[in-house]
Amino acid sequence: MQIDVGYRPAPAMARVQLAAGESIMAETGAMVGMSTNVHIQTGMGKRGIMGGLKRVFGGESFFQNTFTAQNGPGELLLAHSLCGDIVPLEMTQAGFLIQSSSYIASAPWVDIDTKVGGFKTFFGGEGLFVLKATTTHPGQILVGAFGGIQELQCDGDLVIDTGHLVCWDATLDYSVGKSAEGWIATFLSGEGLVCHFRGQGRIWIQTRNPSEYGGLVGRMLPPRKR
Amino acid sequence: MSDLQQPTSPAPAAPVRTAPVPGGAGGGPATRFEITHGPSFAMLRVDLAPGQVVSAEAGSMVARHSGVGMEVKLNAAASAGFVAKLKAFMIALIRKFVGGETFFVNHFSSPQGGSVWIAPAMAGAIAHRRMQGETLTLSTGAYMASTGDLQMRLKFGGLRSLLAKEGAFFLQITGHGDLWFNSYGGVHSVPINGPFIVDNGHLVGFEGALDYVIKGAGGGLMGLVASGEGIVCEFNGQGTVYLQSRNRSALVDWLTPLLPR
Repeated sequence: MQIDVGYRPAPAMARVQLAAGESIMAETGAMVGMSTNVHIQTGMGKRGIMGGLKRVFGGESFFQNTFTAQNGPGELLLAHSLCGDIVPLEMTQAGFLIQSSSYIASAPWVDIDTKVGGFKTFFGGEGLFVLKATTTHPGQILVGAFGGIQELQCDGDLVIDTGHLVCWDATLDYSVGKSAEGWIATFLSGEGLVCHFRGQGRIWIQTRNPSEYGGLVGRMLPPRKR
Repeated sequence: MSDLQQPTSPAPAAPVRTAPVPGGAGGGPATRFEITHGPSFAMLRVDLAPGQVVSAEAGSMVARHSGVGMEVKLNAAASAGFVAKLKAFMIALIRKFVGGETFFVNHFSSPQGGSVWIAPAMAGAIAHRRMQGETLTLSTGAYMASTGDLQMRLKFGGLRSLLAKEGAFFLQITGHGDLWFNSYGGVHSVPINGPFIVDNGHLVGFEGALDYVIKGAGGGLMGLVASGEGIVCEFNGQGTVYLQSRNRSALVDWLTPLLPR
């Protein structure tokens, strides 16, 4: 499998070149175009109905598509729903944690499990639902963002706005909490919830916050008529 | 402490800009910073010297080192004393409800130094200006962050500006320090010498030495309604005008009919 990303940083598109018989798993709706010999199979993934339901709970779609090149090599074009960058990542031993709306595609043997980021995030508005990607074989995953993607090296500790997270190495410890000392200051600061990272590893952040952007533009729009 | 690693990906590498005046005339030494991912999705990283303070618009923080503390402050300079604090509270209140600015700003600082990453909510660029005592006037919402000793006050744009959707107030900034402002789309600077007309929705800011009048684009009342150009700012004098390549009202006008009813 060969993945190239064009039109970076925004609006990026990924080209996946599949060898004969090779496949890739992708989020529904991510396909832009493909060769005629690429076959789509829609399913609930390896984890069955429960896996599908957990994905729905995490803000993803119930089904996932598996694209397979049959009778020769094939090409598949994939894009993200938001205007922004796409980054292919090489799987590591520890795996990755991915903010659920950033997930685009992964090698079929990579296990993608939905984790719920704790009850605090549930009430925080910026629901931090994360997917855990793990594998025992080498492979790639594709993640997308709103705006540009910046890789940060965490060496000790970093604090990141939950709305700007894309993914991070599973070697890092993380906890979601207030952005300021107290809840009142957190509310006044307008920063909402942040993620505290500890340890060594990489973190990929997006330069725009989708819900903040939506809130800003939404406020300027007329109210919906019922 | 953590360090920033350059992106492994080649594409988002943006020009590195540092403050042009090393150890400027006032407002503290030049701030170390970098603006990346411009022009559409720009992000600012400020590398704070020990004890240095950067103020940023509420809600604009993307990330910070854990050693960098955040303090919420009223969006107005408060000196000691109850009356001064009350006055600051009133000014912040006016800024929020009349000027469209936020009520609070966040102050980031660290005794041992560290970085803070800041980005605006809107898609667009970030521009930097090292203020050396001159005056710069910004449109509503254009202010993003600053360091040093900068004074800001609201300025009413005149009765005609009430017709403009973009807000009838400007933020007038003067003093010494680094100033970062953001735009919707790219920032375009136009050095003018004589008259120049700018659509109010595309105006980001202008230098203090310029005279301006807010008016209809021409053609009287009919022109105001039918030309689609709305309210414009006519500048006169010698100085720089900053424009943005997109207009929020145009986005809203385009989006509104597409929404489900």
